[in-house]
Amino acid sequence: MQRAIAIIGAGPAGMAAAVEAVRRGCRVTLVDEGPRPGGQIYRQAHPSLAGGEFAEPAELARKRRLIAAFQAVIDRIDYRAEATVYAVFPNGEIHLAQGDRTEVLRPDAMIIATGVREQAIPFPGWTLPGVMFAGGAQAMLKAQRVLPGRNAVIAGCGPLPLVVAAQLLRAGGRIAALASLRSLRTMLRHPGSLWSGRHILREGLRYERTVRRAGVLQLTGYVPVRAIGGEHLEAVALARIDAEGRVVPGTEQRIACDLLAINYGFVANSELVAMTGAEMRRDPLIGGWLPVIDTFGRTSVPGVFAAGDGAGLRGALVAECDGTIVGAAASVPSTAVGGATLQAELAETVARRARHLDFQQAVRATLRLPLGLWRLVTDETVVCRCENVRFGEIREALASGHRSLNAVKRNVRSGMGWCGGRTCLHAIAALAELATGEAPTEMMTPRPMARPVPFAAIARQKKAAAE
Amino acid sequence: MTKDKFDVLIIGAGAYGLSCAWWMAKRRAGARILVVDEGEFASGASGRNGAGFRMQWGLDLNIRLCQESTRFFETAAEQLDYPRGIELKQGGYLVLAHSEKALATLKGSLEVQHRYGVPSELLNPDDCVKMVPALGRNRLVGGTFCGKDGTISPFLLLDSLLKACRREKVDVRYGTRVEKLERNGGGFRAHVNTGSIEADKILLCTDWAVPELLASLGLNLPVKSLPKEAIVTVPCTPRVKPILISLEHHISVNQVSRGSIVFVVSRAREGKEIASTPDFLAFAAPKIIDLLPGVADVPVLRTWGGVSSLTPDMQPILGETEIEGLYVAVSSFRGLMTSPAVGRIMSALILENDTNDPVLTKLSPRRFRTGELIVEPLLNQE
Repeated sequence: MQRAIAIIGAGPAGMAAAVEAVRRGCRVTLVDEGPRPGGQIYRQAHPSLAGGEFAEPAELARKRRLIAAFQAVIDRIDYRAEATVYAVFPNGEIHLAQGDRTEVLRPDAMIIATGVREQAIPFPGWTLPGVMFAGGAQAMLKAQRVLPGRNAVIAGCGPLPLVVAAQLLRAGGRIAALASLRSLRTMLRHPGSLWSGRHILREGLRYERTVRRAGVLQLTGYVPVRAIGGEHLEAVALARIDAEGRVVPGTEQRIACDLLAINYGFVANSELVAMTGAEMRRDPLIGGWLPVIDTFGRTSVPGVFAAGDGAGLRGALVAECDGTIVGAAASVPSTAVGGATLQAELAETVARRARHLDFQQAVRATLRLPLGLWRLVTDETVVCRCENVRFGEIREALASGHRSLNAVKRNVRSGMGWCGGRTCLHAIAALAELATGEAPTEMMTPRPMARPVPFAAIARQKKAAAE
Repeated sequence: MTKDKFDVLIIGAGAYGLSCAWWMAKRRAGARILVVDEGEFASGASGRNGAGFRMQWGLDLNIRLCQESTRFFETAAEQLDYPRGIELKQGGYLVLAHSEKALATLKGSLEVQHRYGVPSELLNPDDCVKMVPALGRNRLVGGTFCGKDGTISPFLLLDSLLKACRREKVDVRYGTRVEKLERNGGGFRAHVNTGSIEADKILLCTDWAVPELLASLGLNLPVKSLPKEAIVTVPCTPRVKPILISLEHHISVNQVSRGSIVFVVSRAREGKEIASTPDFLAFAAPKIIDLLPGVADVPVLRTWGGVSSLTPDMQPILGETEIEGLYVAVSSFRGLMTSPAVGRIMSALILENDTNDPVLTKLSPRRFRTGELIVEPLLNQE
């Protein structure tokens, strides 16, 4: 009988997993929120939007190649675009909403490839219109060909701020300043890793050249400490940060801008995998709470696999290899996963993944945040935007002994709102660690719904045909 | 290993446990009172319920307990010195009947309520729909309404009680699980995960889990556990002003002040599982739409589960067990709304041996061996 595989997410990992599982004769259902495959990194514009792409040609070639491979099998899979998985259960059920109805899938195995979201460190004024994530600004450029601002300050850490600054410049925008917590030269401390990633590095250098040639003010060791404006962002105050993450007095610079795009690394979209009851661990550097997985992406729950950035930040190239490996492992009976045949078939991909992962070690060095940086959050700063909870309330709850994220939530409602804590929980975990010296050991209990769905759609539920 | 000695050990830091502790501390300054809870703040049934309180019951004791408790909620911010308040909202409860049989039950209960001065009234279907335009007319035959019923925030009630207890020097310890109880001279010893605790008297406020602890002392009590599941929607325009209960749909509905609507949907089940079950939403959604077509378009934000206690007559069990000095307070799924009155009554019983309250005679644990049980009719439990 044909094995049924469900894949959640059509980014590099999800697409590669689908290609591999189809190749191995499985019946594949792929569920994705986007209108077109690609995920965040390989996001595609609507075909009617002609016009240039602003990414490096080599990156675009990678994107085209993977999307073409996926398009080649798309007729053989049940591909659900603009569909949302709102719950998964330990019994293996996947509940999804699409249009005005819902459906329950009961696959033999599921691959959760839900990627990452961006991380923000809240600071005074960060909720002003005009402040957004760097990746969000890039998405507007990629999908809608829209410049999110005329005069931008880009800030944060890791490679994304540089990439976004260069792409905005190429699209005709003006960059008032590019502020990076760490110089990308931090990567030089991992020379071996750099060799593994020399092709990617070359693309990075081209972006760097774009920014340098435009004469952009580049401030290393600086972060935004205040966003200034009435109805809309008008300026940002940047200041230098010392090794412990403290603001160095007297270093503040005020820069006029209408867009502040920030990125402090990424948080894994691991709520769905946690709902299956899979064992989780926390590593803030690569995405916060992550499923514990083995080489083949197996979680502690039989039949539940995780791949790509959602299983720990690893970049698009690793994610693509992951997809192939996990797609293969999910396609064979569980007894065959560790077997010699599969190992031999996957040896080349596993080795390639290891090389790409090696380069990620260098990238990670640029993403490390000193815990003290969270001192940017003042008592007045709104941390949970859905429920409008300021840090002062959270600090009081922590001080009166409510230490876990669940207990803090019950006290001040942080994480109870529309987004289910996707924006604030990583911040509260870090703030709790800073305030009490102890990081919370458990994530906030993930519950259905991962996304809100109307009663009417739930009432119109289609059950999977009996296998 | 720590060894502590207390006048009273209360097991369970939910609404009953904390309320009893606070009343005891108020009643006798200097009393050494310890409250232990195996979980963390508000992690049990008191933090998982539908947040409502009502005086519309069919049995006099339930009415009396809730009348007294309602008066407490109205002044809780001052009494507990909690300026933030407990989000009290008295928008009324509308109890709906979708059959002539249910309507007869409502009418009978109304008579009892009026005997105690509860300001409840009978409504015809038009009145009901006028009050809640989102309501469906399918089979609706009428309802009763009491404008003094309402909701509080369970989290804020628990937090205000916790802070008030700690101000009165009550020791409240979370993450402390009682493994076993044993008699120790005239008192008791509790073996906990952090050591052992000695106390002259013990009050069990662990609700559905009371039988487990009693078993270690050779006692039994007919308390079952009943898992329930709840749904909360995203905030939406005001659609459901009073709280709704439908006896036949087995649903309660509460639109809280932030605009979210909370639904508690009961199913006949047994167990101690608090996780959301896979088939729950698909089970609940059609019932909810049948009851309230006006919410069909509202997105569900989250679901959660909780466990409540179920007693044979669906009334609380309050009083001393066959073992002297060992007390129980089991809510039978209305712990939050009766907690102030129960705290007062139990504190008087335990500290002053005050057994005069008629509640104690009728709701004592002994009633299951003697006498006839009278079942509360106004329940939306399947």
